[in-house]
Parts: sequence; structure tokens; C-alpha cells
Amino acid sequence: MAVAQPTQKAERPSRWQKIWQSISIIFESRVATIGLLMVSFWVLLGFLSLFWTPYEPNSSDFIQNLPPNSVNWLGTDHLGRDILSRLMQGTQVILLKTRLPGDGDVAIPGGVAIWGVLGSLLLGSVLGLNAGYRGGWWDQIIMQVLDALIAFPVIVLYLVVIAALGQGDLVVILAITITGAPGVARLVRSLALDIKTRDYIRAAETRGESVWFIMFREILPNARGPILVDAMLRVGYAIFAIGTLGFLGLGLPPPDPDWGNMVNEARKSIFSNQWAVLWPALAIASLVVGLNLFADGLREELTRYQK
Amino acid sequence: MARFLARSVISTIVTMILVSAALFFMIEVGSGDITVKILGIESTPEQRASYRAQLGLDAPAWRRYIDWAVGSDWRAEREVGYDLVTVPNPQNDEPEWWAEVDGELVRWELDGGELYALVRQEDGSSVSEPAGDVWQVDPETGNEFFWGVSRNNSAVKWARGEGAEVWVRTTAGFRREGDGPQQYIPLRKGLLRGDAGESLQFGRPVSSILWPRVRNTAVLAGVAFIVVMPLALVLGVLAGINEGKFIDRLISITSLGATATPEFVTGIFLIITLGIWLRQVWPESPFKAVAIFTSADAIFQDPTLLALPVLTLTAVELGYIARMTRASMVEVMSTAYIRTAIIKGMPYRRVVMRHAIRNALMAPITIIMLHVNWLVGGVVVVEVIFGFPGLGSYIYNAAIFGDFNAVEAAAMITVGLAVSTRLLGDLAYTFLNPRIRYA
Repeated sequence: MAVAQPTQKAERPSRWQKIWQSISIIFESRVATIGLLMVSFWVLLGFLSLFWTPYEPNSSDFIQNLPPNSVNWLGTDHLGRDILSRLMQGTQVILLKTRLPGDGDVAIPGGVAIWGVLGSLLLGSVLGLNAGYRGGWWDQIIMQVLDALIAFPVIVLYLVVIAALGQGDLVVILAITITGAPGVARLVRSLALDIKTRDYIRAAETRGESVWFIMFREILPNARGPILVDAMLRVGYAIFAIGTLGFLGLGLPPPDPDWGNMVNEARKSIFSNQWAVLWPALAIASLVVGLNLFADGLREELTRYQK
Repeated sequence: MARFLARSVISTIVTMILVSAALFFMIEVGSGDITVKILGIESTPEQRASYRAQLGLDAPAWRRYIDWAVGSDWRAEREVGYDLVTVPNPQNDEPEWWAEVDGELVRWELDGGELYALVRQEDGSSVSEPAGDVWQVDPETGNEFFWGVSRNNSAVKWARGEGAEVWVRTTAGFRREGDGPQQYIPLRKGLLRGDAGESLQFGRPVSSILWPRVRNTAVLAGVAFIVVMPLALVLGVLAGINEGKFIDRLISITSLGATATPEFVTGIFLIITLGIWLRQVWPESPFKAVAIFTSADAIFQDPTLLALPVLTLTAVELGYIARMTRASMVEVMSTAYIRTAIIKGMPYRRVVMRHAIRNALMAPITIIMLHVNWLVGGVVVVEVIFGFPGLGSYIYNAAIFGDFNAVEAAAMITVGLAVSTRLLGDLAYTFLNPRIRYA
């Protein structure tokens, strides 16, 4: 006679174990690990610069255009400022803080690139969910407007937005939001089109849930994987764009050093001092490449089992 | 199929209209007072207001949008009462507006309270004669007024007896005129008829500056394209058929690095390495760190000026196209028909050359068509780095100055290019891949 076995109480993984499990997928991929290392290097330098930089980043304490030496590890720029200190502080505006307009040094945590990407995620998911889930005329109109936005070459859109609104951290965030939103919306729309055919959406509709509940509580959480990977790439694009804008002299305003602008200013004395151009250029390239490697490796790892 | 085509074309047209309106009003909101930039900060508010009126900026935005898109001459013709025509100026070939009165081309000029008609002669000069009694009387105020065409290519309402003053901009500065022009309609044919208006920065028609620029950019982008395409496709195919091997890793990582590096960083690297360091050991190298474009035709007189810009553009685009080709090649190589071809004993070379490549190249080529505006972005930055006299640096300079006529025209060219290539790409894709549903 078979006796019912007492059901083994399954050991539920704790919250931390779950988080660790989802993070550990990064380390499965060598590419993603290298990318993460490159990014964390800059993030750590940025945090360090909040408390300590070798010298005052904005003061001209040294001889101009020095090559790297034992005092100034990376040399000095055309105004005799220490490049290492400026590079370190340059991470802040991109990744760690956003300066609000107005008097005084009011800044909120989270850099311009981060807020810009969050903005485009928000705007893009609202548009994409409405287009994908509601369909019909919503879809037609939203996609038509997005098509018009996509038709602009991104750099022209940046130029127009900044020419129209002037310089500032918030304007750059807005520019990144506007240029990023169409891409996010297209991705979210295609995911929503897929997910809305699932049974649990039918169930929610039968329960009489509101449209916004279904879109944001049922569809969006189930689409988060691809959206997160895309967001990672977008942070890379945003840094790319901030660098380019800085180079064109339209980027983040002084006094904080901005890598793109550092390249642009040092370019004027490029014949006498190539180092001052090289360092910030390398910094931008390595941060963007790191983010790309990270996102690429993550995507490969996530889609490996879906084939 | 026909329905699909019609839909694409209609959607493209709607897109263009939306884009043009968005562009116009976005610049409208933000451009601020352009007259300060043109006249300088020393100008007085009266001078600025008067000049704003002369530029037609006192009209409401929607009216200027229509003027900008389809022209203002039809509106001015109703006021003037004669046909308005454009005739090229014999000296600089730029169009001038004239009113056609009884077979003669006439403009008007107010001098010392007297109205003179300037009658155009065959050689382009004009003969001044008193206009006679052309004044009309405003029934409400009793003042006399006359609508005509001025020498500044505007339809102008002159008034007598009101004592209104205007500041007229001349080459020597400002002149105050009493009893003169009251209302201006700057004459233009509108973008749809190929007239982008006058550049506020240079005072010349935008189109006469823009076309040499577009041509230069076309040369730059074209040469880069000819260099990039074969190279990128070969590298991509090479990486794709060797998936996972060393050569694939090398090509993939290099191209990822090249794509992820901003254009200006690539440009700076190339300037430093080729333009400065290489020149120290090989002074006659064609890569010049300093390129001075003495005229709009400089690249045709000295093609070596193109070397570094083309190389930068190549480096920027190479990685992107190679990565796409690789992905497409990997996908094709894992399909059943390739496996079949290999199993049946076909030589590997032949499988790749005859069966795989043709299918693998379709995707990257169409995707490139869809990404023209990404390429345009690269062109803008490269042109600004090297001071290349092309469309990209033109947009940049115009946007910095706030020259909205120029920005709008140049941006519409890039948008038109992007939209039309996307349409072409869509069509090409449906022709090449008949399995697509025309939903």
C-alpha cells in the first residue's frame, strides 16, 4: 500500500540568490565580463572623483601642454590643467550627476546619459505599448509620427533641438529622449504585438482590468529582457552622442569638464600636443566600446537558449 | 502589390509633410531674435523691429510656413495686381523678382516722396521714370497707398501721408526713411518649387550656396561608399564563414570597436597618426592634417584633400556593414540548403561563392538603404572635423548662426534622401523577397 510521501518542502531561493542568479549570466560570457569591467572602471573613477581628484580639475596650476610625466600622469592641457583630474571629473556629468538650471550647484544623481535613456524608455514604452496593444488607428497614427521622427538624421535633430532650446544638461537629456524614443517604441510595439496574444492577457481582459493596467503591469514586465539589453546599448549611444555634441561645441555647459569638449579644445593645439586630444578621445571610445561589448555579450547569452 | 505600393508612397508623403511642419515650428519656437545676430547688438529696438518686418517675420507662423512651403508670390500677386515673375540677374545669375506690366518688367522705388517705376532693359539694367498717378486711396483712413515690387525682392506696400518711419538697411548701415514702405511680403517660390529663400547669414539665395555643397558631399560619401562596400562585404563574408575562429574574432572585435568609436574620435586618431606622425617620416604623404579648402571646387583641383575625410568615413562605416554582413552570412551558412550542398559533395568554395553569398548579401544591402540617415550623421561630423565644404558642415554652421532658411532647406534635403531611400529599400526588399506579405 502506497503511502503518500510527505511533499518535500521546496527550498525557495532567497531574494539575494535570485538576483545573483540573474546577474551571474553576465559572467557566463567573456565578452560581457570584459565590457562590464571597462564600464565599472569608469564608474569607479567617477565615484572617486566625487571625493578626490589628484588636482583641482578647473584650475590652471601647471605649464601648458606638458606630455605625461610623474607629476601629471596624463599631462596637462592647453590651459595648464591636469588632464587626469579633468578626465575623472568628466565621468560625473555623463554617468553620475545632472546639473539643474538656476543659481547654485543643484545637481540630482544619475548622469545625463542615464536620464536621457530613462526618458526615451518611458516615452518609447508609452508610445510603443499604445501602438502595439491598442492597434488600429492608435497604431497607424503613432507609427506615422515615429516614422517622421526616424526620418531625421539624428545629428540634425540634435542640432535643431539645441539650436532651438539652447545649451544645458536638461536640453541634452531632452535631445537624447526625443532621438531615442522612436527606436524604443518600435521595439516595445513588436514585443507587445507578440505578448498580447498570450492567454494571461486574455485572462486580464476577462477580469476587466483597465487598458493601462494591462499595458504596464502585464505586458511591460514580460517584455523587460530585450528592453533592458536595448537600454544598455542606448546608454552607449547616448554617451556617443554627448561626446559628439561636446565636440561640436553644443554639449554640456562648463564649468564641469566634458570629454567631447576636451577633445574639441585640445584639437586647436594638436600639432604641439597630441596627448591632450588622445586621452579624452580614448576615454569616450573605451566607455562606449565597453557598454557595447557588455550589451552584445548579454544579448548573446540571453538568446542562446531561445534558438 | 499595387495597394502596398500606394500605401508606402502615401505614408512617405505624409511623413514629409509632418517632418517639414515639425522642423519649421521647432526652429520657430526656439530661434529667438535672428535680427540681433544679423544687425549686431548695437542695433536699436526700432531698427530690429523694422528689419523683422522687412524679413516678413511679423506675419503669423502658419502663414510663413505656407509661404516657406509653397511660396508667397501668389499672395503678393493679389495685392500688387500684376503677374510677378523671376528673371536671372545677368551679373550673378541669381533670380530677381519683377512685376510684368503691359509686357514690360517693372519694379518701383520711392525717393523723396515720389514714386518711380524702374523699367527693366534687355541687358538687365533699368531705366527710372516717374510712376505717374498709381496711388490708391484707403477708403477708411483716406491715406494713399501703393503695392509694388521693391528692389529687395519683396512686395511692398508704400504709403503716403502717414508719417510712419522705417529703417532701411543699406550697404553703408541704416537709413531712416519717412513716409515709406509699410508692409512687406518677401517674395519666394517656396520649397516645393525649388526656392528655399534667402540665407540670412550671407544674403544670397540658399539654393545657390547649397548645390555646390550637396555636390561635394555626394563626392565625399560616394568615394567612401565605393571604398567601404567591397571591403566590408569581403570582411563580413570572411568572418561569417569562419564563425568562432580566430579570424572571425579579430574581424568582429575590430569592427565592433570601429562602430562604437565616435566619428570625431576616429577622425582625431587618423589626423594624429597619419596627418602628423606619418608626415614626420614621409613628408610627401597624401594625408594632410591641415586641409584648406580655398573654394567650393577645391576637391576637384586637389583630390588629395579627400584622403583623410574619406578614410575617416570608411573607418566609421566599415565596422557596421561588416558586422551586418557577418550576421547574415552566419545565418545563411546554418540553413539546410547549404548543409545539403556540402553533404552532396560540392566543393566548399563553390558552396560559398555560388549558393551562400548571393543570399547573404541581400540583407546588408537593403539594411544599408534603410540607414542612410545614420550615414548622414557620420558625414556631418566628418565634414566639421575637416572643415569640408559640404552639406553637413553647412547645416552645422547654419544651425549655430540660427539661419533658419538654410537649416530648413538643408535638413529637408537630408530627410528627403532618408525617406526616399527607405521607400526604395522597402520596394527592393519586397521585389527580392516575394514571401513578404503586403499587409
